[in-house]
Amino acid sequence: MIAKIRATLPVCLLVLSLAGCSANVTMEEPTIPPPRVAKIPVQVALRIPKEFENFIHEENVLGREAWTINLGRANATFFTQLFGYMFDGLTVIGPDDDARNFAFDALIEPSIDGFEFSVPNQSKTEAFAVWVRYRLRIFDREGNNAANWTVSAYGKSRKQGLRGSDSLRRAAVLAMRDAAALIILQMEKATGVSKLAGGALAEPSIEPAKMAAEPDVKPARDEAELDFGVFAIGGIDDE
Amino acid sequence: MNETTPLPPTWPVAVSGLLLICLGGCVTSRVEDARENVTGLNEGDAVVIMAKSYHQGNETESKYVTCIEDALGRGSAGLRVIPRQQFVDSLFPWFEPRTAPAETKGLSKLMSRPGVAQIVEDLGVRYIVWLDGDTETVAQGGSLSCAAGPTGGGCFGFAWWQKDADYEASVWDLEGYESAGTVTADFSGTSFLPALVVPIPLIARTQAAACKGLAQQLKAFIIQ
Repeated sequence: MIAKIRATLPVCLLVLSLAGCSANVTMEEPTIPPPRVAKIPVQVALRIPKEFENFIHEENVLGREAWTINLGRANATFFTQLFGYMFDGLTVIGPDDDARNFAFDALIEPSIDGFEFSVPNQSKTEAFAVWVRYRLRIFDREGNNAANWTVSAYGKSRKQGLRGSDSLRRAAVLAMRDAAALIILQMEKATGVSKLAGGALAEPSIEPAKMAAEPDVKPARDEAELDFGVFAIGGIDDE
Repeated sequence: MNETTPLPPTWPVAVSGLLLICLGGCVTSRVEDARENVTGLNEGDAVVIMAKSYHQGNETESKYVTCIEDALGRGSAGLRVIPRQQFVDSLFPWFEPRTAPAETKGLSKLMSRPGVAQIVEDLGVRYIVWLDGDTETVAQGGSLSCAAGPTGGGCFGFAWWQKDADYEASVWDLEGYESAGTVTADFSGTSFLPALVVPIPLIARTQAAACKGLAQQLKAFIIQ
């Protein structure tokens, strides 16, 4: 019996050491609390892109560890919940749906421009950090590009436990909450979305059926003029 | 014929116990407060313990905040403590790391926002305590090596490390929208790990001591 244990011990140690070289983190569906702000009086259509249905980020850290973060539908749930709280009306449409079949004042198409994270080995701290950069493209009911806004959010969580998977998951949730806070407080200032309730900006310059589904559509106004990010810390001045 | 007197069988236990007391409890401490305004609690008043924002470089551990919450609420003279997550969720998005006010001068504007003052009143929150600081290893040394094989294993050597726990608690009074003062706790502890086949950890519980010390002083500061 002892000989058998001795024979299997090295194999077990090898398996354990190999298992320690990679980590999988699966995000649960995030929950955003109802915000204490007035709703924006706009009927919004939210187009969930295909990438939000099963977003997976993989990264090798310094050639030592392989991390896989499976956000699944977390982003789809996040934006559906967030915009449901923010606007008077919300219709969720799929990536292949024709927007002309729906009634709305503004069509919002979110996407992920960047997703990064750091682990304690990299940052030489005790914390996991997650950065996520969302892009919000907003169109009027005629398909004109009304705004193109990037939102950079950050979450940080101290390492707990041996692997730190829970800490990375927590950092990702905090990054999404950070994005939510920024979007809630700066959306109107950054995009002027409420103006779309009064009607379309101008005559449609692009085919409405294709709007938002194709990232290379030509915007109605100068992209550089509309593409900007907002970052503030320690209380947001909304005036 | 010489007879040797056997030592009492309890001596190893006694020596080990003494060693544990001497080495395991090596924590030095300093707790101070600086009062700016009169404090006190009315019936039903509650406190919230928050960590300062990581956006401003703060690293206060979540478990330390929980420890302070528990310590303040414990006992017959315990304070009414509102769990910070409940408070933050109730006032979303005004107390997120990015949006929380960094100074008391932002309080009056925050309270004037729709629904905020009402929720604070409903929860009965009188004081917000902002924690800043962390526990970190400031020095370490020694050498310890372990080996394992089919016939067994063991460790040999000696290692030590020193941890400093430096925290500051800023107390904000939501009645007058002003700072009531600060309480600081500086604790330092050294842990040892001698090993002769079996490692014997002699751990200084620096952070736990800093939690207990700060919580006691904080409770006295608020109750006055």
